[in-house]
Amino acid sequence: MQAQSRDRALPELLSHDNLIRSLSVQRVIAFFQRFESVALPRNLNWRGVSATVAVAVSIVVIASVAHPALERVQPRLLSVLTIVELLAFGLVLSSTIAAARANDDVRRLASQSEALYAFTTSLAAASQLDQMIDAMAIHFPKTFGRPIAVMLPEGDKLAVRFCSSGLEFGETEREMMDSAFRAGRETGWSTNHLSHILCCPLITSQGIFGVLGIAASGSGFLAGNHELRLLRNFVEQAALAITRANLSEKAWHSEALKETDKLQKALLNSISHSLRTPVASVSSLLHTVLEGEHAIDFATRRQLLQTARNESLKLNQLVQNLLDMSRLEGGGLRIRTSRCDVEDVIGAALEQVDAVGARHVSIAIDPSLPWVPMDQVLIVQALVNLIDNALKYSPPGAPIEITARQSGDHIQIAVGDEGFGIAADELERVFDKFFRGSAAEAVSGTGLGLSICKGFVEAHHGHMVAVQRPQGGTEMSILLPVEGIR
Amino acid sequence: MNDPRPRVLVVDDEIGIRRALHASLSTQGYLVREALTGEEALQMVPSFRPDVILLDLGLPGLGGEGVTAALREWTSTPIIILSVQSDETAKIAALDAGADDYLTKPFGCGELLARIRAALRRACQPDATPVFVAGDLAVALAEHRVKLRGQDVPITPTEFSLLKTFIANANKLLTHRQLIREVWGGAHYEDSQHLLRVNVSNLRRKLEVNPARPRYIVTEPGVGYRLRCETALEERTA
Repeated sequence: MQAQSRDRALPELLSHDNLIRSLSVQRVIAFFQRFESVALPRNLNWRGVSATVAVAVSIVVIASVAHPALERVQPRLLSVLTIVELLAFGLVLSSTIAAARANDDVRRLASQSEALYAFTTSLAAASQLDQMIDAMAIHFPKTFGRPIAVMLPEGDKLAVRFCSSGLEFGETEREMMDSAFRAGRETGWSTNHLSHILCCPLITSQGIFGVLGIAASGSGFLAGNHELRLLRNFVEQAALAITRANLSEKAWHSEALKETDKLQKALLNSISHSLRTPVASVSSLLHTVLEGEHAIDFATRRQLLQTARNESLKLNQLVQNLLDMSRLEGGGLRIRTSRCDVEDVIGAALEQVDAVGARHVSIAIDPSLPWVPMDQVLIVQALVNLIDNALKYSPPGAPIEITARQSGDHIQIAVGDEGFGIAADELERVFDKFFRGSAAEAVSGTGLGLSICKGFVEAHHGHMVAVQRPQGGTEMSILLPVEGIR
Repeated sequence: MNDPRPRVLVVDDEIGIRRALHASLSTQGYLVREALTGEEALQMVPSFRPDVILLDLGLPGLGGEGVTAALREWTSTPIIILSVQSDETAKIAALDAGADDYLTKPFGCGELLARIRAALRRACQPDATPVFVAGDLAVALAEHRVKLRGQDVPITPTEFSLLKTFIANANKLLTHRQLIREVWGGAHYEDSQHLLRVNVSNLRRKLEVNPARPRYIVTEPGVGYRLRCETALEERTA
């Protein structure tokens, strides 16, 4: 803004009439001061020029004062004086042109600092790496009129994160970017004229965070020119921003770790509660039996011991669930598949569920069902869990329905019950770890059974589905790909 | 030494398990001895001459599989493996090495006694009964004929060979490997596994009323099959 007002001031000051009229010495001094302050060029020898101009103007001033007198006394001298006057004016004019050229520099500097300001502002607004790369993708081409590429380390390699459409970017360019990254200094145009890009590593005191490549063809980035200086400023800002992004990502990571830690503590609390409850009841039941040896009648003692046994079986189930869970989550689950007869799998599962007892179980297996690759042990166990649940969450006399059929490129083994059902909004969550439906609270359980089923089935690249049956109750299905794991 | 009671050797390093087994088996009329390690068990077997050995799979030192293999070099005394659920591989190895059956801890006393009785019965069975009868199934072994509720059942030679193996080891758990060895000889195990499954499935279709809930040929997932006969069925429902 200031530069503009100065632009207007300068020609005004330099107009001949004005100069002629401003005859006081103070005014002349003031003019020089303003002139200096306006066209204060750093790269031209303006002190020499102003000294010359000062001399010329002084002559003009003296001449102007002396003019009327001399006219009368000596006309020839006057013409000489006029020539000197003109000469002086020429000098002033040429210096004005030089000042105007200096003014171009000012304008460019201003627009450059504006561009840099805009770039740093948009970098500062970005909180994530992607946004910073977006800012680079916009501001570099806008400011320099050249396409760019950005490569950042991913693992132990550099990966292209952005590449302007107009940039020729092949294997050679990648290698150059890579060597700039490894060496930590610019390569390309300024060091090797064969290349059409200049690779600038993004360096801060924290290290090297990537490389920026910018098209350098045409006039190129010559050492010491303004464009190169500005480019380095831009690169420096980009590097600082990316460092910041990396640091905040690290901070986020440690935040996420803290969250995991919190989650694990919650899990541990939940597990130790589930473990402690049966342990406490077993030991207090046994205490009662031992200490009241003579006071307790036979039937009561038997009842106490039965409860203790049931509690300890529950404990055993919980430990087994936890082991399965840790096998699933620790990646320790190795599945061995072979083509199995679904009929055999259903039979084996029913064989393992003691609680089936006298329950009516109807089985409908599509006779054309193909044998499907699976780990029999795991699928039988998943099915045992489903049958167990169907029995647990339905009234003692209610029938269980097991069906097996092909559904697209999956086979579907479904266990249906006529039980209490699951609320619609809980159907998705029943497979979550430790989730227990609101209707399930009356029945003891660990909240792990279904999530283990899901884990086993997903290890086969299959999935599980829970739906409400139209006639009431729930249907839980295991879906396995007919072609097995691909 | 002239005690007429059947003898059981309990091999387990857990005092709780030994006490529980000792108590329940003694009250059921068995003479019980305990060994804490496999090595100790191997020393005791020749002098104690047990009728059944209950062998913990997770013994320190020489494990269940090692003890089974060492015993099988000179005795066919029934061995019942006691294991926890996560021991799958070790359990199959011990069964392949010649153990007769397994029980997963924790188990009920009734289940244990049933397994012991079945093992004892097998041990004193004559090698071949001319006609095997279980429920409504009758198999004339010499004639290669199978009758179900009095009706002849057509059966392939492979299916008959499989059925014969089951009958010779009635109520005993047979691993996939053992069945394949018996029926197909030393054929490639991996290829034969599918053959075995297909033949078991076919046998079930011919012998079972409801193949999805087999009464005779029971699957032990990941381990093998067992022919369950009447006596065992009675004990199960009792």
